[in-house]
Amino acid sequence: MERQRRFASEKDEYQFQHQGAVELLVFNFLLILTILTIWLFKNHRFRFLHETGGAMVYGLIMGLILRYATAPTDIESGTVYDCGKLTFSPSTLLVNITEKVYEYKYKREISQHNINPHQGNAILEKMTFDPEIFFNVLLPPIIFHAGYSLKKRHFFQNLGSILTYAFLGTAISCIVIGLIVYGFVKAMIYAGQLKNGDFHFTDCLFFGSLMSATDPVTVLAIFHELHVDPDLYTLLFGESVLNDAVAIVLTYSISIYSPKENPNTFDAAAFFQSVGNFLGIFAGSFAMGSAYAVVTALLTKFTKLCEFPMLETGLFFLLSWSAFLSAEAAGLTGIVAVLFCGVTQAHYTYNNLSSDSKMRTKQLFEFMNFLAENVIFCYMGLALFTFQNHIFNALFILGAFLAIFIARACNIYPLSFLLNLGRKQKIPWNFQHMMMFSGLRGAIAFALAIRNTGSQPKQMMFTTTLLLVFFTVWVFGGGTTPMLTWLQIRVGVDLDENLKEEPPSHQEANNLDKSTTKAESARLFRMWYGFDHKYLKPILTHAGPPLTTTLPEWCGPISRLLTSPQAYGEQLKEDDVECIVNQDELAMNYQEQGSSPCSPPARLGLDQKASPQTPSKENIYEGDLGLGSYELKLEQTLGQSQMN
Amino acid sequence: MEPGDAARPGPGRVVRALRPRLLLLPLLPLLLGRGLRAGAAASSSGAAAEDSSAMEELATEKEAEESHRQDSVSLLTFILLLTLTILTIWLFKHRRVRFLHETGLAMIYGLIVGVILRYGTPATSGRDKSLSCTQEDRAFSTLLVNVSGKFFEYTLKGEISPGKINSVEQNDMLRKVTFDPEVFFNILLPPIIFHAGYSLKKRHFFRNLGSILAYAFLGTAVSCFIIGNLMYGVVKLMKIVGQLSDKFYYTDCLFFGAIISATDPVTVLAIFNELHADVDLYALLFGESVLNDAVAIVLSSSIVAYQPAGLNTHAFDAAAFFKSVGIFLGIFSGSFTMGAVTGVVTALVTKFTKLHCFPLLETALFFLMSWSTFLLAEACGFTGVVAVLFCGITQAHYTYNNLSVESRSRTKQLFEVLHFLAENFIFSYMGLALFTFQKHVFSPIFIIGAFVAIFLGRAAHIYPLSFFLNLGRRHKIGWNFQHMMMFSGLRGAMAFALAIRDTASYARQMMFTTTLLIVFFTVWIIGGGTTPMLSWLNIRVGVDPDQDPPPNNDSFQVLQGDGPDSAGGNRTKQESAWIFRLWYSFDHNYLKPILTHSGPPLTTTLPAWCGLLARCLTSPQVYDNQEPLREEDSDFILTEGDLTLTYGDSTVTANGSSGSHTASTSLEGRRTKSSSEEVLERDLGMGDQKVSSRGTRLVFPMGDNA
Repeated sequence: MERQRRFASEKDEYQFQHQGAVELLVFNFLLILTILTIWLFKNHRFRFLHETGGAMVYGLIMGLILRYATAPTDIESGTVYDCGKLTFSPSTLLVNITEKVYEYKYKREISQHNINPHQGNAILEKMTFDPEIFFNVLLPPIIFHAGYSLKKRHFFQNLGSILTYAFLGTAISCIVIGLIVYGFVKAMIYAGQLKNGDFHFTDCLFFGSLMSATDPVTVLAIFHELHVDPDLYTLLFGESVLNDAVAIVLTYSISIYSPKENPNTFDAAAFFQSVGNFLGIFAGSFAMGSAYAVVTALLTKFTKLCEFPMLETGLFFLLSWSAFLSAEAAGLTGIVAVLFCGVTQAHYTYNNLSSDSKMRTKQLFEFMNFLAENVIFCYMGLALFTFQNHIFNALFILGAFLAIFIARACNIYPLSFLLNLGRKQKIPWNFQHMMMFSGLRGAIAFALAIRNTGSQPKQMMFTTTLLLVFFTVWVFGGGTTPMLTWLQIRVGVDLDENLKEEPPSHQEANNLDKSTTKAESARLFRMWYGFDHKYLKPILTHAGPPLTTTLPEWCGPISRLLTSPQAYGEQLKEDDVECIVNQDELAMNYQEQGSSPCSPPARLGLDQKASPQTPSKENIYEGDLGLGSYELKLEQTLGQSQMN
Repeated sequence: MEPGDAARPGPGRVVRALRPRLLLLPLLPLLLGRGLRAGAAASSSGAAAEDSSAMEELATEKEAEESHRQDSVSLLTFILLLTLTILTIWLFKHRRVRFLHETGLAMIYGLIVGVILRYGTPATSGRDKSLSCTQEDRAFSTLLVNVSGKFFEYTLKGEISPGKINSVEQNDMLRKVTFDPEVFFNILLPPIIFHAGYSLKKRHFFRNLGSILAYAFLGTAVSCFIIGNLMYGVVKLMKIVGQLSDKFYYTDCLFFGAIISATDPVTVLAIFNELHADVDLYALLFGESVLNDAVAIVLSSSIVAYQPAGLNTHAFDAAAFFKSVGIFLGIFSGSFTMGAVTGVVTALVTKFTKLHCFPLLETALFFLMSWSTFLLAEACGFTGVVAVLFCGITQAHYTYNNLSVESRSRTKQLFEVLHFLAENFIFSYMGLALFTFQKHVFSPIFIIGAFVAIFLGRAAHIYPLSFFLNLGRRHKIGWNFQHMMMFSGLRGAMAFALAIRDTASYARQMMFTTTLLIVFFTVWIIGGGTTPMLSWLNIRVGVDPDQDPPPNNDSFQVLQGDGPDSAGGNRTKQESAWIFRLWYSFDHNYLKPILTHSGPPLTTTLPAWCGLLARCLTSPQVYDNQEPLREEDSDFILTEGDLTLTYGDSTVTANGSSGSHTASTSLEGRRTKSSSEEVLERDLGMGDQKVSSRGTRLVFPMGDNA
């Protein structure tokens, strides 16, 4: 008897343990399928379905199978135990079951009306991840990669516009969506579909903020493949990257907005507390991220770690990850910190790495980004069927659809108008339409929505978000290519042709360019560029003018200490300090020559690799954006060696 | 029930119970934390709730957030440790200090942090509540608890043995930095083992396959048995002296023998690699240590599974013994098959799709398939780590040849980084565990006994086996090699992971402590003494792995058609036994052509009646490759394998421009020889990559001109 029982429980545990492997296996197979399909599509140049869309389709199919083809098992798990002794819910629970003690971990709170669906299918239950996985594991590589591959020159040229779109635009879009949805909620209450008092204005704003995180990964992939105008690309990409950070912090600050008395009324103190929270978290995360990147830059500058690319890559990876963890440990938002860490790493550290490490880090994060992104989209497809607490409300969904379009329009058109007043190089109408069109929702919106599905409004939001993501990814993503031709946006622009026109004739072309650049970037930004070029770059990288010339006399020893010997060698190129933006790019090229002597064999290998690749330019620009710039440097080095 | 049974609550079951959903958390141990962030939950209650419950909820949220924060901090500790290690290692490498390897350093830093955590942090008591609810008679995976009107969901974490309940409520910080042991098996070991398999130096490995297998299988069994017996003697002695306070059975001793038989001479190998020590010695040591791990894992799990049927659970029982042997064979062959099959599937997929146009997709596919092996094996009840090892070997042997040049370097680098991080993580955790692990049992007699036992075990394993092998080997294993192999019996990650897996009983805790000390000692002392030992034993260093073959077995000359160097050919033939030659020819004639783009076309090797199938499976590139002059010497299979690899390279890279292959391959062959010096500085795989990239350079201009 005893033995039998033990046997049964052993078997139970056995099954229990293998479930984990099986779940993951399902995801693995879905991803493998996705990869093969995507290869097929890419091979035949189908552009209407991006890999993320494909992942969602497979996820949907798998979800359907799991939902309707597996028998509901595990009837007992729905039993509720009452324990009079417990007055609160501890994080760890030790349960004594017939002389054996089991440790249970707190998972979540379940609201009353959700208990019944819980008695369902064990497999469905198992296929549901802890939502925190998205925030702690899957999103960081995606966001870091985005920050790391921001194309620097175009990004900084358009920095003002991008920041405007990201901050102001997101705020506008959040409020507009919140208001429209609130209207629909009122209508729903009027129609009797919703109880009064369930759905507050803060909930609507919450929805608005999570819906403001655009993620046009599909559109960007197509842009990239077709070599669409780099300015449009940068605007969209930069906006979507910063957007995510803003939306995450905004969501968080809205969720902690809790007025003292009546939760529905406006409370100035709580409001300002939320605003303060927003600013504090944002600034804190920003500081944390950049601080780690600066540390990495200093470490890679002052050690000769570039002799051992593997160590360098390891260090880079670990420190970037520490940025995330430190921010989380300090109560800030890790993802935002990681984003800025990525941007700073790309701006400074990247220049200090050996060429081998540059390649390695790029590829490593590219790979992680690819996997994480597809897992998320796959999971989205799966969640439509396996998530057990969906609330489909036609009116709400309709309202949300309307709201996101209107809000996107309210974000893009007025802001573009305002920006065009100040910009020398206007954002034309077709760009605006395209940006309006590219308001896809993706991983961030989903992750924010799934984070909390405890209450009824939140579940409704989650369902709606899911549908919105599906719709936008499939329909808008698929419609990008027709839209591009319809709007007559020039494609086939070589991102680096622009650049290549300039380098040979820096001195002359820059005079022409300078005025544009200057007018475009406002005074504040120019100041930043000057500061960056004169102080930060020399301190953190091997490039730029030596600090001894830029710093005042009295800090001579420090500046001599901080300047790398390579910097002195390049003084002759010092004259054109004014054309800072291009200098930025230039400095990177100098740098390449500066650091390669550190490992002559590597340079040799570089030349060899470069020569076969030059004829096949197609190939070169097929890689990621960041890789493009890397490739460019290869050519430069090659030219050098030929001259020698 | 037997009293013995109660004290020893079925280790197998505990192990399985402890293994729960960790698999879910593949990428980062970060997820160990529950990480329930408060923020979003704040608005969850929706309507205004009563004051008191809101307060309680807030308390829970705060606690959850606090715990998330602590998780972050503990992970951060490890990451900063690793960062420090990397920086110090760079310093050491830069200054060419060889007495301390990075793993040894990671352990030292781990020790320091462990001391700080142990004595520098206040002991906060956990807020765990123990309650006894008697409604249920089984443990469910999820538990819904009704706490004053609200429902909370709890997930099963594991079973706790009664003795541990008190220790659960100790220092929070120490608890946080103590990982679930299954993390090692599910997250950290697989990349290490896969990398080992993936970077097995193929040619030298296969040349010494017989000896390696003998060392790995027979040797591990011998060493396990001898250590077990010696330890049993020590335990008996302890009983007489009265130092043993709890039970310690013969099976426990054997278990200890099994876990401590897993050698891991990573330090020694790193030094060999750096100094270019003799390739054969390197291959022997590396191959032995890699296969060793697999054998030790399976052996220890089959010893655990040894449960005699009779009343006395610790007497010898033939049925149970044979069952254990059966389990060993079953798990081993099952895992082997699983790994090999996934490797083969990957090879087929990469061969028949043109995935190599998109290196990212290719790399992702490669990674996912290799990971699937692990999951599949775990899901079927085999050992994932063993499956991953064989998957790695198969991938290196077949799939690697189908990958694009870029993917080759990507996969190599990816697994290299993962391996590096995981390995150093484990070693720094070891250092940490010496102080943060809360149930150490230090028993001097046992520890001294174990030290003596591992040296005797190692000696009894190496010398007799080498003697027997030397009877059959043409190319003898010299005395200095034997001494070096004896000396390199370091213990490392695998022994530690096996020991920490189950620390429930007194005997196991003692084993764990002893294993930890053995690892420390061997890594620091023996690892540090490698360089002096090498010079003392007169082992030649600075050997270039590929300069070595010409004097040794002349196969290159033979292949280039220099003339029938019969002596060299004979030697090669004799060295590998009949069965291996059979395997080689099978591999060369059938498997390679089926799975890769290289080798002779299947249409020539397969019998006529399956011509259609053969044509379907042979890739078009193979026909272009078929160079008559090289087809003749198909009896020198051993090195042929290497050559075909080169063919494979050129065909894959040149997939755009066909036509000029013959010229480029022959040129390439010559190039490899002339400039081997720097090419072979890294491991073989990288070497191949470089060679092939050079090949590309040769090919592309031609394609352009045409």
